[in-house]
Amino acid sequence: MSREINAFTAIIYRQLKRWISSRSRVVSIIIQPFLWLFFIGVGFGSVFSGNTPVQFDNIPIPINSTQIIQTYFNKLFGGVDYVTFIVSGLVVTTAFIGSFISGISVIWDKQFGFLKESLVAPASRKIIILGRIVGDSIVNTIQALLVVAVALPFANGLKLENIPIGLLYIFITALAFTGLGTALSLKFSSMEGFQMIVNLLTMPLMFLSGVFYPLAQMPEWMQSASKLNPLTYSVHGVRYWLAGANVGFEYMNWHLDLAIITVFAIVLLAVAAEMFEKATIED
Amino acid sequence: MSEIIVVENLVKKFKDVIAVNDVSFVVNRGEIFGLLGPNGAGKTTTIHVIATLLKPTSGRVLVDGINVSEKPQLVRKKIGIVFQDPSLDNQLTAYDNMYIHGKLYGIEKRVLERKINELFELVELSEFKNKQVRYFSGGMRRRLEIARSLLHEPELLILDEPTIGLDPQSRNKVWEYLRKVRREYDMTILLTTHYMDEAEELAGRIAIMDHGRIVAMGSSEELKSMLGRDLILLRFTGNPETLCNKLSFAKDCKLTSDGRMEVLVENASRSIPEIFDVANNNGIKILEINYRRPTLNDVFLHLTGRELRDHLEEAVPPPPRRGFRW
Repeated sequence: MSREINAFTAIIYRQLKRWISSRSRVVSIIIQPFLWLFFIGVGFGSVFSGNTPVQFDNIPIPINSTQIIQTYFNKLFGGVDYVTFIVSGLVVTTAFIGSFISGISVIWDKQFGFLKESLVAPASRKIIILGRIVGDSIVNTIQALLVVAVALPFANGLKLENIPIGLLYIFITALAFTGLGTALSLKFSSMEGFQMIVNLLTMPLMFLSGVFYPLAQMPEWMQSASKLNPLTYSVHGVRYWLAGANVGFEYMNWHLDLAIITVFAIVLLAVAAEMFEKATIED
Repeated sequence: MSEIIVVENLVKKFKDVIAVNDVSFVVNRGEIFGLLGPNGAGKTTTIHVIATLLKPTSGRVLVDGINVSEKPQLVRKKIGIVFQDPSLDNQLTAYDNMYIHGKLYGIEKRVLERKINELFELVELSEFKNKQVRYFSGGMRRRLEIARSLLHEPELLILDEPTIGLDPQSRNKVWEYLRKVRREYDMTILLTTHYMDEAEELAGRIAIMDHGRIVAMGSSEELKSMLGRDLILLRFTGNPETLCNKLSFAKDCKLTSDGRMEVLVENASRSIPEIFDVANNNGIKILEINYRRPTLNDVFLHLTGRELRDHLEEAVPPPPRRGFRW
């Protein structure tokens, strides 16, 4: 038993050490949400805030259009301003994309041999792959935390006291998608192929998760797709805690969110572990 | 039990390519056993099966009496392996590579630190232990990998082409460590190589592999004596068939691809005049003649032929059995 724990922590240690030694990876993962934040968040944020002067020439009664528009949008975004709304979601997508991409390190290890080293080790393979997924999930949760930290000056509606519980949701989400990325990459031998699948999957999952706009405003068919997207629940849950905004479908609440992402994570971890157990160098 | 590895009728197929075809051999405890063969002969596939990385298609492989396909976990504990391609983590330091390996093999922290330092001494890498492996030269990486494979004190050390791509200095060092390790740790070593000098230098017994089969096995002296005592090389004009047919005393006689003739005899000093006689009587003119003791190289080329092995090697991943690949 102690040997299994040793192996587990050794692999977590490895993933963390690798992360620390590759600064470019850290930077690129954090820059991406900032591009979103600035180009979409700040851009749309000012549109949605109601501060943009809109002239209603043909309305005879003098009304305060700014206030009305602001109230409207705040109601739309769950009572918070758009920047807070989007930051609380981008935190999740940062972890989501980061996790998905961590799978690529399996391909990397396939090409550079470390995979063989872990395949001949006497430690249980399930433990090794779980250690790997947990290690990468810790990395991605830390990255999400960094995004929160850097976004604080822009998003004034964030609830600092709820960050730990938000991170818990993010960690579980990271476990799930690292599991998925790992399982996929065990089947791929080229980076290009994996990269393609990642691009193919991340964009729709991200846009259907309600990070950028409230789900209730989407067309019927998109709503149905969103309901099947596990990321939707993660975004809803994290936003509920971090921004205090309940923006989603009526049936959603933070218990349900937690339950769904946990089940999803367990299933994917089991799949990844099973696949690694059977892995030979032939795959 | 004196055998540490027993391979019985091992067959390994990749789709329709037979990489290892009915191979049987035994490695005794404490010896250095060399698998010698050209590229693509099936050496790497054989040791991958022994190291539990591949499942045999048929046949049986035992390591210390344990069947590798039934209890791979137990076998993995007993072996240390150095792969042909580096399997180090380049982004980590040499120390971390060792440390993680030790942890994966369940070595207790206190013991682990001492052992790591001890092995760094052995392979003379102590001063580089906190450097990232990506800055290491090929020879340093190989030495680090050897040190790593020794960390958990395996009973059996498997090395796949341990000195491929190394300069003569590094090769000598590697040989030196391997001999030292065998002496001091009383370890059995199984190595593959296509270098004759390496096999001759290190291995007590050698199995020559070609096209997935073992074509000869024995000590290097035994293998060399297979060819007879002396090897005569001839260049001549005339029909080679005639000459070969008339040399009744020759143990073997064949034409090489560069147009010369190889004749294996017991005693060259006595045979050379006879060859001249035969040639004269048959109207053949000898242009050049020399002789030497056969080397392992001669044995190797004699058994495996001179053609190049340009088919795909087993290291190229075969297509997946299921799923898709881009």
